[in-house]
Amino acid sequence: MIRRKKLLSAVLAVAMTASMAACGSAEEKGGTQAAETQAKQPAAETAAAGEAAEEAAESTEEQISLSIAWWGGQTRHDYTQQLLDLYTQSHPNVTFETSPSGWDGYFDKLATQAAAGAMPDIVQMDYLYIATYANNGSVIDLQPFVDNGTIDASNIDEAVLGTGKIGDSLAGMVLSNSILALTYNPDVLAEAEVETPATDWTWTDYAAAWKQIHEKTGAYGIETNLTDNINVLNYYVRQRGEKLFSDDNKSLGYADDAVFVDYINMITELVDCGAMPNPDEYAQISTLPKESFPVVTGDAGFRNDWNNYAVIAEGTNDKLKLMTPPMADDGTKALWVKPGMFFSVSSTASEAEQQAAAEFINWFVNSEEANAIIMAERGVPVSSEIRSFLADSGKMTPKQVEMFEYVDLAVPVCAEVPAPDPAGISEVTTAFQDAVYNVLYGRKTAEEAAAAFRTTADEILARNN
Amino acid sequence: MSLSKKRRNNIVGYILLTPWLVGFVCMYLIPSGMSLFYSFTDYNLLSAPDFIGIDNYIRMFTRDEKFWQALKVTFMYVLILVPARLAFALCVAMMVNKKHKGIGVYRTLYYIPSIIGGSIAVSVVWRQLFGNGGVFMSISEALGIKQRSSLLGNPDTALLAIILLGVWQFGSSMLTFLSALKTIPNSLYESAMVDGSRPFYTFFHITIPMLTPTIFFNLILQIINGFRVFTESYVITDGGPLDGTLSYVLYMYRKAFTHFEMGYSCALAWVFVAIVAVFTVLLFWTQNRWVYYESDAK
Repeated sequence: MIRRKKLLSAVLAVAMTASMAACGSAEEKGGTQAAETQAKQPAAETAAAGEAAEEAAESTEEQISLSIAWWGGQTRHDYTQQLLDLYTQSHPNVTFETSPSGWDGYFDKLATQAAAGAMPDIVQMDYLYIATYANNGSVIDLQPFVDNGTIDASNIDEAVLGTGKIGDSLAGMVLSNSILALTYNPDVLAEAEVETPATDWTWTDYAAAWKQIHEKTGAYGIETNLTDNINVLNYYVRQRGEKLFSDDNKSLGYADDAVFVDYINMITELVDCGAMPNPDEYAQISTLPKESFPVVTGDAGFRNDWNNYAVIAEGTNDKLKLMTPPMADDGTKALWVKPGMFFSVSSTASEAEQQAAAEFINWFVNSEEANAIIMAERGVPVSSEIRSFLADSGKMTPKQVEMFEYVDLAVPVCAEVPAPDPAGISEVTTAFQDAVYNVLYGRKTAEEAAAAFRTTADEILARNN
Repeated sequence: MSLSKKRRNNIVGYILLTPWLVGFVCMYLIPSGMSLFYSFTDYNLLSAPDFIGIDNYIRMFTRDEKFWQALKVTFMYVLILVPARLAFALCVAMMVNKKHKGIGVYRTLYYIPSIIGGSIAVSVVWRQLFGNGGVFMSISEALGIKQRSSLLGNPDTALLAIILLGVWQFGSSMLTFLSALKTIPNSLYESAMVDGSRPFYTFFHITIPMLTPTIFFNLILQIINGFRVFTESYVITDGGPLDGTLSYVLYMYRKAFTHFEMGYSCALAWVFVAIVAVFTVLLFWTQNRWVYYESDAK
């Protein structure tokens, strides 16, 4: 029986070693691979791809395979695939490996790939993360391609193009503009006997309308809880004449917590009366596909999103309308035209791949052929030529026309564009949502939550910038 | 002559060991060493690491609230899950420890959750069961209890739903209990019966003491496994609500791959190794007090 004890200890020892090794493995794997990437930069590629790249430089007929990643709904996945096939038809030497995905998890996956040195060659990038990726060197400077004419930027507004500049580097080619917008379902409003909203409606007017919708129809007044898009807080803060982040990005930009306290109180009131989903209900809504959110199915009156949302949902409900976000009581203009999304090129791509990627991006942004398929689904195109091409084409659906018209509606209430979001923004966004949720769950008062948010956000910003 | 033969034997031994040694050094020793080094650096994965001494560790213990939250969640998970799972596994093992027609089918059925339990699919099912608008909310609504929040949507109860999923995966513990139960000599029970012992008394004075080596073995395995919980909190709740299910490994993952703080994440990993090691050593240390090996008895 002594033997049995020994056997047990041996089994235990092996089991423990194995499990502890497993604990650490995810970390360590990332670490080693990243170290390798670093060693091999700038052309961190497999040997085969490297050779292919060298040959490609001599002969343009050499096969190039570009990996490309984007987020979006099913509509976007379908037409993007169509678009890539079309490009391969006219450029038989370029083929694509695609990784389409929803917004949820997209940046988690991208971060993992970047860490492993396996980031896709062309990456759809958001304003939230572009500074992070530019600062850690995982995307290349596209300015040389603009300078040598590979990417034609002549029809793009300087200020808009500049939104992709981080420091001295053009980290992303902006594809579209978008503006914060309320999307509403007119049928729900009619049922609740709520008037059609107008640009001069204030937060108070909207809060009343949202409550009325809930009382009369049982639907949510607004289906978003205004805590997962930090741009909304920025908008709210700007309405008080302040900014969310300081100029050096090392701390919050507003001096008095009162503004955030007001924001939290507004949300709490709406959630308590049921006009806005509580965190649990909202988590459930967030898992739905974009085309079937409550506002589309008539279970909510409003949704806070970007001005391309009505186009995205058009396939399931073609009645949705757009309106500018609530005004400040004193009418301070705070809205801005935000770069909708970017294409960035990975620094792990070989030179030939970078060149091919730049050519593709140029085609995507400037060709009528491509945009006749995209039909502004990614937001209002940045090229003025393409905008007028689409407007004159007569092929646009009513929702697409409305998205374009929304820009005209919104510009009068727009102010200057804020600087790109600082590095560490994803952590700040989490802290922002935590602050509001702490109040919604009754853990903190609004004042405590606002103070805690300041401490946390300042620490994150100071550490990252 | 004999010496050189001995040496030759050693060489053969080392050659036979080589595949394992190479694997151990490349896949375990070097990466571990590197992660230990990174834990003393500010390292974002893509630019060169900056040596910052023990700053990461200082930050963890003095300024990082989420670190403490993750520790709290993980400890609660382990401290509730392990006893609950073992108790449940023992109950089931005793129930299926009978000679009965078709008992093999039951044993197989009870083991199935352990095979599929850790998977993404089951985690998604769990969300559908306990999440907002899920099965349990629909049932309680049908019974006339209307709520706006689900079990998973409340920071105080979300962890319970995840622990429940863990308890449900009792299969492997059940199997070891079952085989241990079969090794308890029937003569012990017979003499107890002759002496008029009640079933309750028999259980605590014969079954449990005879099972202590198995309990000990399960305890060590399950504690180490429990500390490593990741999939459940990542898929079902993504650590939420309000970090109520933020497990330590999930936090480590986020620091490394969402916030690009690989150096800090490595530091977290090493503190974690220390914690698990301390737990294991403590358990071994208490072993003599309560684990009964037949061989020791005289």
